[in-house]
Amino acid sequence: MKLDLSGLESTVPHFGTSDGLSHGFPTAPSFDLPITGDFDGFQKEAIQMVKPAKGTTTLAFIFKEGVMVAADSRASMGGYISSQSVKKIIEINPHMLGTMAGGAADCQFWHRNLGIKCRLHELANKRRISVTGASKLLANILYSYRGMGLSVGTMIAGWDETGPGLYYVDSEGGRLKGTRFSVGSGSPYAYGVLDSGYRFDMSVEEAAELARRSIYHATFRDGASGGVASVYHVGPNGWTKMSGDDVGELHYKYYPVTPSTVEQEMGEVSGA
Amino acid sequence: MSIFEYNGSALVAMVGKNCFAIASDRRLGVQLQTIATDFQRIYQIHDRLFIGISGLATDAQTLYQRLVFRHKLYELREERDMKPETFASLVSAILYEKRFGPYFCQPVIAGLGDDDKPFICTMDAIGAKELAKDFVVAGSASESLYGACEAMFKPDMEPEELFETVSQALQASVDRDCLSGWGGHVYVVTPTEVKERILKGRMD
Repeated sequence: MKLDLSGLESTVPHFGTSDGLSHGFPTAPSFDLPITGDFDGFQKEAIQMVKPAKGTTTLAFIFKEGVMVAADSRASMGGYISSQSVKKIIEINPHMLGTMAGGAADCQFWHRNLGIKCRLHELANKRRISVTGASKLLANILYSYRGMGLSVGTMIAGWDETGPGLYYVDSEGGRLKGTRFSVGSGSPYAYGVLDSGYRFDMSVEEAAELARRSIYHATFRDGASGGVASVYHVGPNGWTKMSGDDVGELHYKYYPVTPSTVEQEMGEVSGA
Repeated sequence: MSIFEYNGSALVAMVGKNCFAIASDRRLGVQLQTIATDFQRIYQIHDRLFIGISGLATDAQTLYQRLVFRHKLYELREERDMKPETFASLVSAILYEKRFGPYFCQPVIAGLGDDDKPFICTMDAIGAKELAKDFVVAGSASESLYGACEAMFKPDMEPEELFETVSQALQASVDRDCLSGWGGHVYVVTPTEVKERILKGRMD
């Protein structure tokens, strides 16, 4: 009896299919499916393996002078800190940034793939792709892999002809346009500081300080966030890195230790 | 994450020349969320005996209260302080009483015994004593702590050098653990004095 395996086939078009725009170029990579007796169980396990990894804090907001993007730099595996120096803000092209939350491999791969697509669009259409278009490309790809265990919670920030643009895209297939987003396990703490300090008409310096402070507060309260708070600004001429401050040092800058007068220094103990 | 890592903790005790040091982190959390950064994990039982309790914070506090009760009774009856070895046996017995519904704790006991000889030991949640001559560790950061202590330990260190070693080992280990850190608390105990110090650490 021939089993119906059509449900297992990837909905993503394979190498070689053309749709005019990318004739001859691969539209999206196709991946081999594993040969296993229990595909469902394998998928569940794969999802569980990646799931805890949304330990991070990233945020982005639009203001008068453009888009501010900030993130921490800690990677954690359960309780263990595997790295304090992960680049979570990915440079898609000189005018667009993506943030990483979720599976590191997934985010790095798909952002690079998005960068390739954006460049192809530029070459085919002789103009830079809009933020709307770029985020839609990524969202469509992630939607086609829905349920297969990808873990991506990203924000696409850029400046195009319509001005500053910010979209939230995730591996469930969701895509939201907005002005303020924070993603990751530290996001509730970052939102608290970001929402209370936000004004549309901030200067670049003020916005950078708000972003930095929000990330710092998230790293203080959230165990899975920490390391270095990186802050990027996206303006009409592209992005620039504003700062990368070690969060350990930021704490003592915001809350310096004041030496208190000591009443009693050492406890005298009677000898045996 | 297991129940032992629910609140997060890091404890280490190290032996020096006629002295010992016992150190802990200061974080109290609920899984990944940090609730307090000044949580007390090390308690003084008497002049020359300290116990640090890692693991579930509520069990650590309850266990400490029971131990203080038992030690005070002992002091009233015997009219003297308990020796560290005796205290360790007491802790072990109290933990084994709860063999089939244990306290989710790992205590670290450090004290100066007869002739000012330093004594350290740790035990698992049901009271298995582990005596050591050099150092003992406990908590969610225990694996990192083992590595750091093994690398930095030297026998017969003077109190000042012992303090430096314990502090560096503690800081290095908790900087690799999401669930512990946010400062440090170090006690260095010699036959004549107890020096308590707070460490400035990474607050992330």
